[in-house]
Amino acid sequence: MATRMKWAPGPAAWTDDLSPIAASDWNADRAAHLLAHAGFGGTPDEIERLADAGLERAVRSLVHYESIPNPKMVPFVESGLWDPGLDGFPESRPEATNRAEKTGVSMGIDVKPGGRRPIQPVSDRFFYWLRATLLETRRVGYWWANRMLQTTHPVEQKMALLWHGHFATHENKVRDYRKMLQQIDLFEREATGNLRDLAIQVAQNPAMLYFLDAQYNVKGAPNENFAREVMELFTMGVGNYSEKDVRECARAFTGWYFDNLTFKIDPEKHDNGEKTFLGRTGNFDGVDVIKIIFEQPVTAEYLASKVYRFLVRDDQSPEMRKKLGAALRDSKFEIKPLLTLLFSSKDFYSPATYGGHIKSPVEHLIAMMKHLGAEAIPGVPDFNQSTIAMGQHLLNPPSVAGWAGGRSWITPNLLIARGNIARDVLLPDMTGFRDWNAGNANDTVMRRLRDGYDVGAATAVSDPSTMSMFDRVALERDEKFNTRVSSTLGWERAARKLIPTPRQAAQIDLSRLVLDSGSKTTADAVDHLLGRLLRVPAAKPMRDQLVTFLTGELGTDNIEQAKTYMEDALRMTVHLMMSTPEYQIV
Amino acid sequence: MSTKHPLRASGVSRRDLIRIGAGGLGFGLFGGIGPVPYVLGQASRASAASTTGRILVVFEWFGGNDGLNTVVPYGDPMYYKHRPTIGIKEQDLMKIDAQYGWHKSMQGVKRLYDEGKVAIVQGVGYDQPSFSHFTSASFWHTGAPNSGNEYGWVGRTAKELDPTGARGNLIVNISDSQTLAVRAEKHVPLVFIDPTRFQRSVFSQEKVLLEALASQQSPVGDAHRYVLEVTRSAAQASEVVRAAWAKYKGKDNRDLRLLDLDKVAALIEADFPTRLYYVPLRNSLFDTHVNQAAPHERQLEYCADAISGFFREMERMGRADDVVMYVYSEFGRRVPENTSLGTDHGTAQANFVIGNAVKGGFYGKAPSLSNLVLMDNLEATTDFRQVYATLVEEWLGVDNQKVLGQKYKTLGMFKGAPQPTTA
Repeated sequence: MATRMKWAPGPAAWTDDLSPIAASDWNADRAAHLLAHAGFGGTPDEIERLADAGLERAVRSLVHYESIPNPKMVPFVESGLWDPGLDGFPESRPEATNRAEKTGVSMGIDVKPGGRRPIQPVSDRFFYWLRATLLETRRVGYWWANRMLQTTHPVEQKMALLWHGHFATHENKVRDYRKMLQQIDLFEREATGNLRDLAIQVAQNPAMLYFLDAQYNVKGAPNENFAREVMELFTMGVGNYSEKDVRECARAFTGWYFDNLTFKIDPEKHDNGEKTFLGRTGNFDGVDVIKIIFEQPVTAEYLASKVYRFLVRDDQSPEMRKKLGAALRDSKFEIKPLLTLLFSSKDFYSPATYGGHIKSPVEHLIAMMKHLGAEAIPGVPDFNQSTIAMGQHLLNPPSVAGWAGGRSWITPNLLIARGNIARDVLLPDMTGFRDWNAGNANDTVMRRLRDGYDVGAATAVSDPSTMSMFDRVALERDEKFNTRVSSTLGWERAARKLIPTPRQAAQIDLSRLVLDSGSKTTADAVDHLLGRLLRVPAAKPMRDQLVTFLTGELGTDNIEQAKTYMEDALRMTVHLMMSTPEYQIV
Repeated sequence: MSTKHPLRASGVSRRDLIRIGAGGLGFGLFGGIGPVPYVLGQASRASAASTTGRILVVFEWFGGNDGLNTVVPYGDPMYYKHRPTIGIKEQDLMKIDAQYGWHKSMQGVKRLYDEGKVAIVQGVGYDQPSFSHFTSASFWHTGAPNSGNEYGWVGRTAKELDPTGARGNLIVNISDSQTLAVRAEKHVPLVFIDPTRFQRSVFSQEKVLLEALASQQSPVGDAHRYVLEVTRSAAQASEVVRAAWAKYKGKDNRDLRLLDLDKVAALIEADFPTRLYYVPLRNSLFDTHVNQAAPHERQLEYCADAISGFFREMERMGRADDVVMYVYSEFGRRVPENTSLGTDHGTAQANFVIGNAVKGGFYGKAPSLSNLVLMDNLEATTDFRQVYATLVEEWLGVDNQKVLGQKYKTLGMFKGAPQPTTA
């Protein structure tokens, strides 16, 4: 049985002090605090192990995780939706069908030599891939969430999540789950490596190259999209460079492109001229300009404070920003020394940091599973739908600026959604659940086609069963393709190949957790569960009300007496706990 | 519908309840400031020069409206060359002048136009346009094309209207999830779609405890204080929104088909302190790739009738002078029709700014139908941020540079507003 911990923030004087706490200041509560911020929270066992290790070893094991076995990390199993004909996928449906009209083939699909709607297979193909990559990306998100839950390297996953929101690309535009997967792999591999190397690798990453229009950035006609974001959002922040720097930076990146999943440079399209960038002059290429960007003092400050905001707390003083920047610069952009500094610091365990971080929806859901003792993310409710409802769609951040984070995670409806999702996890509606990967239940086109209507009637706005045969025939026009049919068939064909997501509820046994904790009374049970779940203690009256609630539901305050039937009542109790303001923060 | 009103029994009127809730005790998010009384009735009666009672309603037509078939350039023969089949014939239009006519489904907006209350801004778009719905929408939402911003332009406007973030419910977003446009640094947008379902899902025995979630707790820090306050205000907001909705008569009027603007009307009638309403149309029926005539006709009619009905409601409430509506899509459509009798994703489109305060007429330069750009598309002749600048500066009285990052020239669209500002 895990011993109940005392809420133990350090003294106020620790705030903004980056010097390490003493070994004697280490305890179980601080271990729990560290796991909640550096990772996704801990089970009582994980906390106990970290507490027993002592501060230095605890921090080292979290930051230098490479040698720790991580047996549950399995590669993503692809559904096999992609084939080489999809390489160079057109940016729009008109581009896809125009290509077919001009060349007789598009995306590896031939135009029909005769018959009706000769370009229909091409149009279908376009929609097939739109749906296929969307559906597979949902699976990637779900797979990644399981990694976050099951890893023995929580810092690695937490930092990968940070970089995903920082170097933000979204599948909506990239339209290739393989590139998204490749990028997540990069973020995981380099999660705590060298930040300058990471920035260079991101600049050469196919998802990013596509996302920021690198293919349009060529000698003589530079596209500034990537150059601007590299400085504005990825490294320096707005106001630290001129428009001329943006143009010169874009010239340095000209000729960078990708071939399928491989980064390439086209020397013909690269501008070999002299560039003047941030006060330096030379025949720079993309790597050179990133190196110059990392020589700017503001870059280290910008990036270090981003790490701090993500792992420690929202607010920071200008002095803190400078100190953090200096630390990152001193380590030559190695991330591990910065993490070690933060995780050992008095500031990290100060009252300002305790309860100072609002969990993102993804952090929230992973922590929820840990607290409940679940070993896998459930299939019901759907992982992606749950986090979307709470305001975060993995692999689809809202813009290149990523998620705003902090307070923006909490609005009245998002807060209500958090409580409702907790209920769906604890007491799922298996009867009412419908798999959204199966498509839109209200799609009438497929139903009409299967009921024997022509394409024209099947895609009509009004109900063809109420039309005369004459009207129905009149709808069947001479057209080269029909995109509304493609939209439906595309989903259908992708869904036929898609590996289904297991729709199992969360496997949790709260009765077992409570019995194993040695709880004798409903008060013991509530205290044990609160201790598991909350980093910020619940107020006494709330705790007492929860005890009254559980006792009322069980008809006794005796756990032994109620042990054969207490599961759902415990789950409701935990639903209430997870709906508290305190559960949203760590 | 009879919703329970716990406070009404105690003699507090609904309006008082909402005022107390909305302005002071309940809705005063962001601690440290203390209750900020807000009496909107007073503000709206303030002098004409004051901008403090003015409301902006953004009505987003997601999917990409075909601007050319909405305000139809029938006087240009090129229009019929590009659209031999789906081009709208002269005799089917409601003519505006010798060049343009309204699609016949736009009757509701035409009525307002004829009363001098509709500004039509032509050719609104941006450079290097995206043809993706989501990407382009994110550009419009952030006001940062080919870039991004953590916050939306409406959210940034809120910050300028109320820099400390002391006022609750400044932004309302009628949507099932928060629109990027309203994401704000200091303000918590009130987001809901169905007032009757804007509440926690609970089992009956949990109710009492869930209602007590945020009581009797003192904050351990700023983040905790913030979440506590939102928890309290979420409970009250859902209560007050449901109360306002229950009271709103318009919802029972079968002749009023307001789409989601009915929720806006309900809150305005209930004297909500909201200055910024954002209403995205949730279906994407404007995305008319195939056989577009019938669905576009129907969709335009629904929308135009909703706008017209909404302003009739504002007249009834005596609030028509206080409200301006802005209508836009994330892009227009390709100029030539496609082989499926529809149109594909395009670039520029006409935007509408509607209200008693608006100087009706055409704004901006009409894009040429002869010199098309980027694969048969209209050139964007007015950057959409100029329209935003006009709304935030001329209507809401906020320096547009503070919202948009650089100074944009405004369009001189409002009565009594200064002449167009220069960049």
